[in-house]
Amino acid sequence: MQTSLRSKVLDTFIEATQTILNPELKKWIDNGGKVTGFFCSYGPEEIITAAGMVPIRIRASGSTSTELADAYLSSINCSFCRHAFNMGLSGKYDFLEGVVWLNNCDHVRRIYDNWKRKVKNPLYHMMSLPKMTTDVQVEWFHDELVIFKEALEKHLGIKITNNKLWEAIKTHNETRQLLRQLYELRKKENPPITGAESLAVVVASTAMPRAEFNQKMKELLKDLKGAEGIKNYKARLMLVGSILDNPNYIKVIEDIGGLVVTDSLCFGTRLFWRDVNEKDKDPLKALAKYYIQEKPACPRMFGEQPNRSKFIKDMVKDFKVDGVIGLRMVMCDLWTGEFFMLDKDLKADGVPFLKLEREYAVVGAGQLRTRAQAFMESIGGRR
Amino acid sequence: MKKGMKQPEKAIKLYRDDNAYMQMLLDMLAADTSEEGEINRFVIKAVMERTNDVLQCVEKDEPFIASWYPYSAEVLTAMDVTWWMFAQTAFLGIESPHVLDDIDGAERLLGSDFCTVLRLLLYYVEADMSPKPSALVALLHPCDGTVIAHQAIKHGKWADVPIFGCDPPYWDNERAIEYYANEMRRMVGFISEITDKKLDIDRLREVCQQSNKEYALWQEYNELRRAIPCPHDWTLGPPQCFAMATYYYVGKPQGEAWFKKLIANAEKRVKAGVSGVAGGERIRVLWFDILPLMWQFDIQPWMEAEWGVNLVMNMFGFTPYTPIDTKNEKTMFHDIAKRSLNDFPMVRQARGVADHFLTDIERIVKDYSIDCVIWPGHMGHKDGSANIGMMREKCREIGVPFLYIGLDLFDKRYTSPDEVKDRLSNFFSIHGLGQKK
Repeated sequence: MQTSLRSKVLDTFIEATQTILNPELKKWIDNGGKVTGFFCSYGPEEIITAAGMVPIRIRASGSTSTELADAYLSSINCSFCRHAFNMGLSGKYDFLEGVVWLNNCDHVRRIYDNWKRKVKNPLYHMMSLPKMTTDVQVEWFHDELVIFKEALEKHLGIKITNNKLWEAIKTHNETRQLLRQLYELRKKENPPITGAESLAVVVASTAMPRAEFNQKMKELLKDLKGAEGIKNYKARLMLVGSILDNPNYIKVIEDIGGLVVTDSLCFGTRLFWRDVNEKDKDPLKALAKYYIQEKPACPRMFGEQPNRSKFIKDMVKDFKVDGVIGLRMVMCDLWTGEFFMLDKDLKADGVPFLKLEREYAVVGAGQLRTRAQAFMESIGGRR
Repeated sequence: MKKGMKQPEKAIKLYRDDNAYMQMLLDMLAADTSEEGEINRFVIKAVMERTNDVLQCVEKDEPFIASWYPYSAEVLTAMDVTWWMFAQTAFLGIESPHVLDDIDGAERLLGSDFCTVLRLLLYYVEADMSPKPSALVALLHPCDGTVIAHQAIKHGKWADVPIFGCDPPYWDNERAIEYYANEMRRMVGFISEITDKKLDIDRLREVCQQSNKEYALWQEYNELRRAIPCPHDWTLGPPQCFAMATYYYVGKPQGEAWFKKLIANAEKRVKAGVSGVAGGERIRVLWFDILPLMWQFDIQPWMEAEWGVNLVMNMFGFTPYTPIDTKNEKTMFHDIAKRSLNDFPMVRQARGVADHFLTDIERIVKDYSIDCVIWPGHMGHKDGSANIGMMREKCREIGVPFLYIGLDLFDKRYTSPDEVKDRLSNFFSIHGLGQKK
C-alpha cells in the first residue's frame, strides 16, 4: 500500500529511520553540536535540549547481527537490547556525548551496566523511574530530574536556566502538537498517509534537532493537505506494543490491505498524546508531572492498567479501528502480562485483537503476512 | 475490618491436602531420630503451621494478607497479622504430580517465556487454587514479571481484593532508603485499614530485637559452612535458614530455637570433620540463583555421587544483613526499608545496578573457598542473564571457573536433566574439578 503523496520532507524522514547518523544529525555534529542518546519514551529529552544538545532515541536501525553483544547478554534478553548494545560495542554510537537510561525494563536497565563498562562515551546517566504514579512518585522523579540537570551542568560546564528549560519544553510540545495534527489526518475515512510512513515521521521526530524537525513537519502537513486519501484498504488497524521503529514491519501488513491508522507504541502516541503543562510555575515539576502522571503510561506503571486500556479503547472509537494488533517483543514480560489483560478488555467490547510476537529485526515477514491476512479475513465483514 | 473473601473451595481443599501430605511426611520421618531429622521436621511443622493459620482465617472469616518476603515481615509479626507468601502454592507444589499440567495451564495464560513461578502464581489464582486473601500486598520488584503479574492478578479473579504496592526505587542510597521507608509506612496504613490492627512501636521493637537474634544466628551458621568440608549439603541449612528468618518465624522465639539446634549440629560436624556430602566433598560450588528445588531428586544425588559437589552457598543462603537499629520508629523503619531493598536475596542483586551480583560473587568465593560459580540462568531471570558477561569477567578476575547453563528451575522440559548433567560434567572435566584422589 502506498500513498500518491510525493513529499521531499517525507523522504527525509524515511531516510532518517534507516540509519542512526542521519544527514540532519550529521550536519549538527559537523557544526560542533553535541548529541545525547536515551533509551526510553520516559527519557526527559527536554532537559537535554535545554543543555544545548540534541536528544535522540537509541535505536538499532541497520543492525544485522548481535555477535558482539552475545558475549555479554543471553538468548533470553530481548533482541532490541542485543542489537542496540551490539551497535554500541561496534562503535556506532561513539559520536554520542552522553547516554541516558531509566530502569524502564529488566533488559534495558542491564544495558546500562554493560554499556558503561564496555562503550566509551563521555557521560552515562541512569535515572530511577518510579513504578507508580501518585504525587509521591512525582516528587521522587522531580528530584531525579534535578540530579540529571545538575549532572549535565557539571559535565558541560554550563547553567541550565528555567528559561532554557521552558524554551525546550515549548519546542518539544510543538513537536507533540505537530505529530497529533498528523494523527488527526489519519482519522479520516481516506487518510493521506500510511501507517508505515507515519511511523517514519515519529521515529524522525526522535532522531534529529527538534527545531529542524518541527520546521520540516510543518512542510509535511502542508503537503498532506492536498494529498489524495488512501481508499483501497480492507481494514483499519491499531498497533499496540513497545518498541517498533522499522516502517518495513508495518509495510508488510499494509501491503496486504490493512491500513494502520493509529497506535499505542513507544515510537507512537505514547510519546506525544499529551503536552507538558507550560503554565506550571516550575519547569522540572511540570516535566515530572508529565512523565509520571500525564503521558500515556507504559505497562510497568502499577495501577495504571485501567487507564491504559481506556486509552486504547478511546483510540479504537476515535480512529474507527476495526481490529487491534498487539506486538510483543519476544522475552518481554511487561507486554506479555499487558496483553493478557488487554485481550479480555477488548473482547468485552467486541474489538478483534491479534497478538503477534516479533523480534527487533524484521524477520519472518511471511508468517506475519499470513497471520495478518487471516486476522483481516476474520474481521473482513466490516468493510 | 475487611472480612474474609468468599473462598474458592478447590483452593481450600488443596491447602488441606497439602497439610495432610506434610503430616504424612512427618510421620514417615518420625523414624529418623537424628538431629538432622529433627531439624528438618521442625521446618515441615512451620510450613504446616502457616498453612493452618490461613485455613483458620478462612474458617473464622478473619482477615489474612497475601504478601512477599521482601516486605520485611517484622512489621506484620508486630501487628499480629496473619499473612502468607501466596507463591508458596507454586513452591510447595513443585514436586506434585499435577505440576506439569499446571505449568501448561499457566502457559495458556502468559506464554512460555514468562517466569514459570509467576505464571503459576497467576494460574493458581485464575484456576481457583489459591485462597483469596483480604488484601494483596503486591511486590513491584525485582523484575518486570512481578510488576505485571500482580496487575494481571488484580485484573482477574482477585479484582475485588484490595491491592497495595510499595514503589521500589532503583537506587540503594540513603535517599532511596528513606523513600522506601515512607512507602512501608503507607503499607502499614493500608494493612491497618484492612485488618483493624494497629502497629505498636514497642511491640515492633521487641519483634525486631528477636529478629536480629535470628539473623545473627544465621550469620553464625554461615560461618560454619565455610569449613572444609562444609558440614551440611545444600538441602540442609540455606533454604531453611532463609525460610525461618524471613517467612515462617520472623521475630518469633521458635526461630531462634531452631537456629540454635542447626548451629549445634553444624558445630559438631565441623569438629568431627564430617562432610555434608555423603561420599566426600570434592567441588565447592556457589550456585548463584534460586536453589534447584525441582531438580532435587534428579541432579543433587547425581552431583554428589559423580562429582562430590556441594552447593556450599547460594543466593538465598547468603547473609549480607545488618541488624535493625531498634532505637526508635525512624531507625527501625529505616533499617527495615534498607533490608527490604538492599539485603534480601534476589531483590538485592536483581533490583538495581548489577554491581551487587559481582561484589557478592567475589565475597562468597573468597569467604567460602568456592571452586566454581554456576549461574543456572533460570528462564525468568532476564536481568541476571544480561549479566553473564560481567559475571564471567569477574570470575576470570578472581580465578574461578564460571558456568552459565540456561534452564527452567521449575520445568525440566525446558532443559532436560540429562542435558544439564552433560553441561555440568563437561564443565567440571574441562576445569579439572572433582577428580577422585
